[in-house]
Order: sequence, then C-alpha cells, then structure tokens
Amino acid sequence: MGVSLHNQDNSLVRLFKWIYTGFDRTIFMGLKFTLPAKFVSPLGFLGMLTFVVFIILGITGAFLMLWYEPILDRAWDSVSKINDTIPYGFHMRNIHYHASNAMVMLAILHMYYQFFSGRYKIRNEMLWVTGILIGVLTILEAFTGYDIIFSERAVLAISIAASLTNSIPILGPDMMNAFFGSGFHDFVLRFYAFHVFFLPIVLLGLMVVHFPRFLVFDVPMVMAVTGAIMLTGGVFPIDLGLKFDPTVPPGVTVPEWYLTGLYAFLRSAFDKFTTGVLWPGLFIFTLLIIPFIDRYKKFSWKDRPIITALGITSIAQIIITTYWGFYIDPDRTKSLLERLVIDPIFLYTVMALLVPLSFGFTYLMIKLAKNAEANAKKQKPTEKNSIQLPAKWLYILFIVLIGFQVYLNIAAYYAVLNGMKNYSLFLIGILMLVFAGMFHLYRYSRGLSKSNVEVVTTNKRKFVFPSFGTGSAKSLPSKTAKVGELSDSSDRIFNAPSDKSLDDKKPVPVPEIPPSKGSSLSPSSNNSATAVDARTESASSNDSNPNLRTNAASLRSIKNDPNDGKLRQQLNSPESSSPTSISDKEGSTTTNPGKNRT
Amino acid sequence: MSQRQPPNVDGGKISRRDFLKLLAAAGTVMTFTPFVDWGKFLPNPKETSEERSKVVLPDGSQANVNTFKINHAEAIVYPMSEDPVLNEEAFRTWQFIRLPPELGGEKNDASAFRMYSMVCLHLWCLWKYWPEDGRKRGECPCHGTMYDPLTGVAFAGPAALQAPPSNVLPSLDLEVDDEGNIWIKPPNWTPSGNGVVGYGRFLT
Repeated sequence: MGVSLHNQDNSLVRLFKWIYTGFDRTIFMGLKFTLPAKFVSPLGFLGMLTFVVFIILGITGAFLMLWYEPILDRAWDSVSKINDTIPYGFHMRNIHYHASNAMVMLAILHMYYQFFSGRYKIRNEMLWVTGILIGVLTILEAFTGYDIIFSERAVLAISIAASLTNSIPILGPDMMNAFFGSGFHDFVLRFYAFHVFFLPIVLLGLMVVHFPRFLVFDVPMVMAVTGAIMLTGGVFPIDLGLKFDPTVPPGVTVPEWYLTGLYAFLRSAFDKFTTGVLWPGLFIFTLLIIPFIDRYKKFSWKDRPIITALGITSIAQIIITTYWGFYIDPDRTKSLLERLVIDPIFLYTVMALLVPLSFGFTYLMIKLAKNAEANAKKQKPTEKNSIQLPAKWLYILFIVLIGFQVYLNIAAYYAVLNGMKNYSLFLIGILMLVFAGMFHLYRYSRGLSKSNVEVVTTNKRKFVFPSFGTGSAKSLPSKTAKVGELSDSSDRIFNAPSDKSLDDKKPVPVPEIPPSKGSSLSPSSNNSATAVDARTESASSNDSNPNLRTNAASLRSIKNDPNDGKLRQQLNSPESSSPTSISDKEGSTTTNPGKNRT
Repeated sequence: MSQRQPPNVDGGKISRRDFLKLLAAAGTVMTFTPFVDWGKFLPNPKETSEERSKVVLPDGSQANVNTFKINHAEAIVYPMSEDPVLNEEAFRTWQFIRLPPELGGEKNDASAFRMYSMVCLHLWCLWKYWPEDGRKRGECPCHGTMYDPLTGVAFAGPAALQAPPSNVLPSLDLEVDDEGNIWIKPPNWTPSGNGVVGYGRFLT
C-alpha cells in the first residue's frame, strides 16, 4: 500500500486503489470473483444475473416504498399516484415490475441449466436445495408484490392465496388467520410486510448460503439484461388494473405467467387443497430431492437419461399448464362458469400423456446426440464449425425475426403514443443494450489484437464477421496465420484449434488461488492482503479439486487463447499448486484481473 | 492438490451418553413448549364484545321490526369501527335481510330476519339479496353463486361445489327487544359457531 503513495496516480485514483486493496481484508476475498476478459456463455452465470436483477429490484423497490401506502383504501391510489404524478415514478414502477418477471425467468432458466448439466452433484447438494427454496420464495415475493397494488386481479390472487391456506387440513384456518390476518385491511398490510421485509431478508440469508465460491460478473451481459428490462418497460408499460370495488363484478383475470400453471389446476374444479397445495408441493419436493435420487456418475444430460427425461417432462407440463391457465374460452355467450372451468379428466389425461411423450422425446434426443457425436468422431477429430442451417430454415428464421421486429416496432409506436413517458425508458434500454454490444465487440477485438493476428481488410471487403457459431469467442490460430484474401467462409482463418484443447485431459483452468502454507511470504508481496489470501486459501485448498470439476462446465466456454497463455500456464502448470511464494503472489493476481491491469 | 475427504455422514455412530443428552435436551424443550404463547402476536385480536350491539342501518338509525320492510335487505357494517377505513372493509359488511312472506318474513320477531356475511365464499366478491319475484335469493355478481336466504346455503354456482364448511355463509344471531329494536348477539367466530368470514360455516 505504501507503494501506491509514491507513484504518479492522482489522489482520486489513489483513493480508489486504497478502497480496492481494502477489500482484501473483507469477505469478498473469500469469493472467487471474476470479470471475464472474454465472452463466457451466460448460461454459466445465470445465477449471478438473477442476483443482479434482485439488486435492481431492491433499489427500485426502495424508491417505491417512499410513496406506496399499504392502507386498504389508498393502496391502489398511491400506486396510481406513483405511476402518474410522481416524477420518475412510472419508470421505477415499470423497472420494478419487469425486473420481477426477469428475476423469476432467470431463476427458472438457472435452475434448469444446473439441472441438465448435473451441477448439483459433487457435494453441491446444499447449493441445489437452497436454490430451490430461493426459487419458491422468489415466486412468493413476486406474488405478494403484485397483490399489494390491490387491483381487481390482486384481490382475486389474495383470495386464492388465503383460501388455499385455509384449505390446509387442521392447521389451515389458524395459519391463515396468523399469516394473513382477518380481512382485506390486514391482507394489504401483511402482504406488504412480507413483500418488503420478511421474504427479502430470508432470500438474502439463503443467498449467502447459496453463493458458490466462484462468481462471474460479466459487465456486458449484466448491461444487456438490465437494458432488456428497461426496453421491455418502455415497449410494454404495465398498467394499473382496475381499482377493486367489492360491489362491482371483476373482469376475468389471470394471474402472472409464473402462476398460471397453478391456476389451470385450480380451475379444474377439483379439490382446492389437492390442486392448489399438494400438486405444487409435490413438484417442489421432487425438485428438492433430485440430487439425492440422481445416482448417475456422469454429468452430461446425455448420460443421465432418466433424470433428463424427468426434467423434460416437467418442462412440458409447465408449458402446457401455463398456457392452459392463460386460455379462457373467448366465447362470451357461454356462462362464465363454463368458460372458466377446465375439465379435470381432460387436464389430467394430458398431464399423464406428457410423461411417456417426454420420455420418448428424451430418448430420441439422446440417441440423436450420441449418433452425432459418433459421426463427428468418425469424420474429423474436432473441427466444429458454425451451425449449418439449411437455407429453408434460414428464410423461416429471417421471416420470424422480421415479424418480431415489426411487432416490436408497432408496440413501441403505441407506447410512444401513450404519453412518451416510457419512451425514455425505451431509450435507456436501447442505450444499455448498445453499450453491452460495444463492450462485447471491444473485448472481442482486443482478444483479436492480442492474438497477433492481423485483421486484414482487403479492398473487396471492409468487414468480415467471423462465424457466429458454436462459440463466438473462437480463439485464433497461434501460428502465423496465413491471411490471404478474406472470403465468405471465414472458417479458413478461424478454424478453431481451441476445441481440441477442451477435450484434452488437462484440468480446466480455474482462477483459483494456489494453495500456500502461508509461511513463505516473499518480501516482494508488499501488502498483507496476500497473506490473508494465502491463509484463507490454505484453509480451503484441500478441496480445490472438486471445485475444479464444479466450475469446469462454466469455464468450458472460456476458450483461452493459446497465445494468451500466461494466465493459462500458471493455472495449469503443476508448479502453481506448489506452495511457493512466487506462485502465491501470481496466483492472487490472476484472481483479480483488475489488479492485473493496474 | 489433495482432496479433502467428504465429511463422514454415513456413520450413524452416536454414543449412548450423547443420545441421552439429546433426549434430555429435547425433553426439556418439549416440557416448556405448552407454556409459551406461540404466535399469539400474529392473529388479529378479535373485536368481539361480550355485549350485544345495535343493527345500524345505512341511515344511522337502529333497525326495528316494526319499520323494516318485508322482503328487503340492507348492507350493515359489523363490527362498526371508529376508523372509517376499517368500515370500508369488505369483511365487515353483512347483508341484513327481512325474509319474504312465504319464508316467514311477516312475523315480528327475530326469526323473520337474517344476517349473512356479504363476502361470497367462492372468491370474495360481495353478493347481495335480490327481492324480485322469481329471484328472492342472494346472487354473487362475479361467478354467479346463488344463496338461499333462509339458511345461507349456496345452492348453485362455484361456491355450491365447495366442501363444507365453505358452502354455507357465516351468519350473525339476532334478537329483538321490547321496543322492536334489533340487536346482534355476541358472535362466536368459529366454523361451527357463527362461521368464519370468507371461509364458511358448518350447518348445524
């Protein structure tokens, strides 16, 4: 630390550096926090994205708390005031709403990615179980959130929640009385308390347990998600709904999309407790015990047919029931009862039929995937090219994309017509997305320039896009790349030797601080922070091996340049694990790329 | 890189002394559990008075058997609160019905009157009594549940399909004094008593 006082940095930079080094003494050093210098598949850090969205929700929610009034006859009016008169209230509310949807969506995707990649194994059961609990609480959090607006839909949702709690045998009525109170005045106040304190604090506590020791914070991806939330808020501003008036019959409303599956079961006119409490409880319980019933020794979904089939079944059933919950017979001449009630025999037959269908589908997929693997091995050892789509499919894809674009444009147009408020949100979203894209391009091009390949532009073509295929961060050939004339097939240049490096038996690089016994600190390690690193690491170094395997999947997609192998060498070389002071220091620097650059 | 051995979880070896200690600790805790007032903070204290209270009509007067029209209904707030916000609570609204003549509404005693919670047992919209000829029943505007004014039983619609006690409306017991004024007797908010608002009542 003393060193930094004598260099040329100005005081502000020194302050930041002081703060940065100060973090070495905090709990943050216990986490392996990585800002990837290359494109990493976002599937590996969906959990981190979920957490970022949670933070966004916390901030916007805190601002909403300044104006929201959890009082029976003022709740809706206060939300209306936030929406219409408070400066930026519209923005806060829209970001809050769309971020809540994004959080639920990201959490579900995160869960299924972990599910199919089998990452709940190798003693990660704790992460899985806490993750499922967090997921359930996230949905409850979102649910209590849209209830406290106290619109018509909110009242229907509250009444369903309360009556479901009521329907629990023996304890139900007392539980409802205890948790929800008696009457709507209590409901609004208590759902508010749950929404802003009880559930978030439990969520935060569980998150502390749930955090793995390796975290990825990818700036462009975070920006892209945030931008997408704002963009959605701009294009699809959320309405308030009608204020609940007990004497006015409410319109037919469906709950939010993550609860329509449950709603479909409730509409089947079967027993309330079975459909509304038992079925979802069974679903959650099955998810909870998945790590303990999955006895396969392998990780890939291809090698775990039964578990994969279970996952596919659950996805199929979720999709079907979610759609079914949304669907209400548009024929208004029929009675409401007829339109609403789903024939239970029909529903449950479809549910049951989906099981063999999904198992068959899984069987087919695994067979196809294994065939493709075998074929690929027969022909050429590696040489993974970009995805080759038939021309017909390309056209279809284009048409679908153009259609989506048109739809977005129309939606944006109507959003602008509705008072321009959301237009700014829309613009901010675009800005953030563009920033994400720029950041990504910058990072990519820096990778190119580092890898000593001259990006040649001939007279014929100014820009040549490398193949956007299996990995957009394909590494480049290390040797003198023979760049002749760039042609359409960029594969000649970017023929991806790195895929081979993934298949070899070397351990996948993990920015792990190499263990040290903590005693042999070189005098060159100028601050005590490395000593702390070394100590914490030596405590946990014993299990770094399983950790390697844990993070292997997430790091598959980090394709290190063979040329850029300084970092790689350090990590892969066996010396790095030997407890020398030099490797200790270097190891700790590789952990923090930011430090590396300063 | 050495790998830490996973913790030994399959052992199941617990010494007799530890087991007895565990039993003693658990027993101590269990002994005192009944004396802790578990969760009494959470439910809303019941606003039940031990005294009877007036049936206050929307115009502020007390309902009287001699003036209240036959085959007629009014919305009553009970229990009436000092707080106007709480008085808007749907759970405090009751339908006060004087039965039609064919159901015994002409008598000048409490048997001619009924007081049911207006909260529909299905999804908590507020139903009301329709005195027209051919209807003479309570109807919920939301999903069409119909209630029998004599007993409070849902005889059609979604609430009729619900298992007891969720197919019978909660009701309040009434009494009439010498001057004909109508009073509400102190209620017993249990499913087997006067019922639970929004939940139902067992028909005795």
